Amino acid sequence: MAAREASKCATKIVRPLLSSDKSEAKKRVLNLYKTYYRQIPLILFDRHLPVSKEECQKKLKEEFLKNKHITDVRVIDMLVIKGQMLLQEIVTKWAQDCHVMTLFKDTAEPKPNDFLSKFVNSNDSQ
Amino acid sequence: MSLRIITRAIQRLSTIQTGNSIPKYFKTITRAESTTVVPKPKFESITEQYLGFGNFVAECLPKYIQKVQISSKNELELLIAPEGVLPVFHFLKNQTNCQFVNLSDICAVDVPQRTNRFEIVYNLLSLRFNTRLRVKTYTDELTPIDSITSIYEAANWYEREIWDMFGVFFTNHPDLRRILTDYGFEGHPFRKDFPLSGYVEVRYDDEKRRVVVEPLEMSQEFRRFELSTPWEQFPNFRSATTVEEVPLAEKEKK
Repeated sequence: MAAREASKCATKIVRPLLSSDKSEAKKRVLNLYKTYYRQIPLILFDRHLPVSKEECQKKLKEEFLKNKHITDVRVIDMLVIKGQMLLQEIVTKWAQDCHVMTLFKDTAEPKPNDFLSKFVNSNDSQ
Repeated sequence: MSLRIITRAIQRLSTIQTGNSIPKYFKTITRAESTTVVPKPKFESITEQYLGFGNFVAECLPKYIQKVQISSKNELELLIAPEGVLPVFHFLKNQTNCQFVNLSDICAVDVPQRTNRFEIVYNLLSLRFNTRLRVKTYTDELTPIDSITSIYEAANWYEREIWDMFGVFFTNHPDLRRILTDYGFEGHPFRKDFPLSGYVEVRYDDEKRRVVVEPLEMSQEFRRFELSTPWEQFPNFRSATTVEEVPLAEKEKK
């Protein structure tokens, strides 16, 4: 009895965002991935993007795998919601080509790793 | 579920009214012949009226009203539980003695020190009684709040704005998407942990022939600010008195 009371205190009951459990969240993520995957050829047909279909697919996979470590169902749901909004923006053409291309980050210079390049790139703050 | 609560509240209200006629803190409007006579309010001060109204609402919705207070600028504020957003607003809009039919504004406040860091503030106006009311509730980054677009159409854009600026999710919103930030913008800029300079900078790239977005690195960290003004603007209001809490009637014990 006491143990049950204790467990009640220990587990915090929270309001779900979309999914009530992990399997449901997983289904949502896979669903979103598939939707994106199917939209890629149509997006490329509609727009003049300097990327190929394979590059887009690779990028899509990369973006999803970036959040691989997240286990909290509500955080997953929040990311799914934001992913859906982004897809809506791209497909309805609210986002222009330059907005879509920001996902590829093709102009950002990689951060310096070794000592010499850090020294060359160093600014006054260090 | 919420409907049941509302009907219960209304039943409760009717028992209150039949028990000891009309509560004394409301204006009584009587019709004599063809002219409408509105008697002068019986209250000494607006504060007394607020006390009465605050107690009345807290009596009708005891489950959701957590606190009633009067701010330092003499405005009535209701502090409600986040799960009671729909029944409370349904009550405030449709109850005869409230009729807050106009939603003036919704905004949010970010206080990172709290467990529920976001405070959602609803400003209501009752045209019938010429009164304003502020309703406050709370949430955190991941807890959704019920959208009140089903009750107030005006809430649509306000809720989108809060979603965009603070990242508070509203369930059952018909069209929740960004409203102020640019497409491709990441993060919620009104959060206190969002840096003033942002995370990215935008420039036109000649080579790529388009606008590019790059991660921003500043040589100086713009983190420490002197926020107090060097000159005193309103010395009389410098130490504004804190809010005054309305003492609610004891809840009946079961």
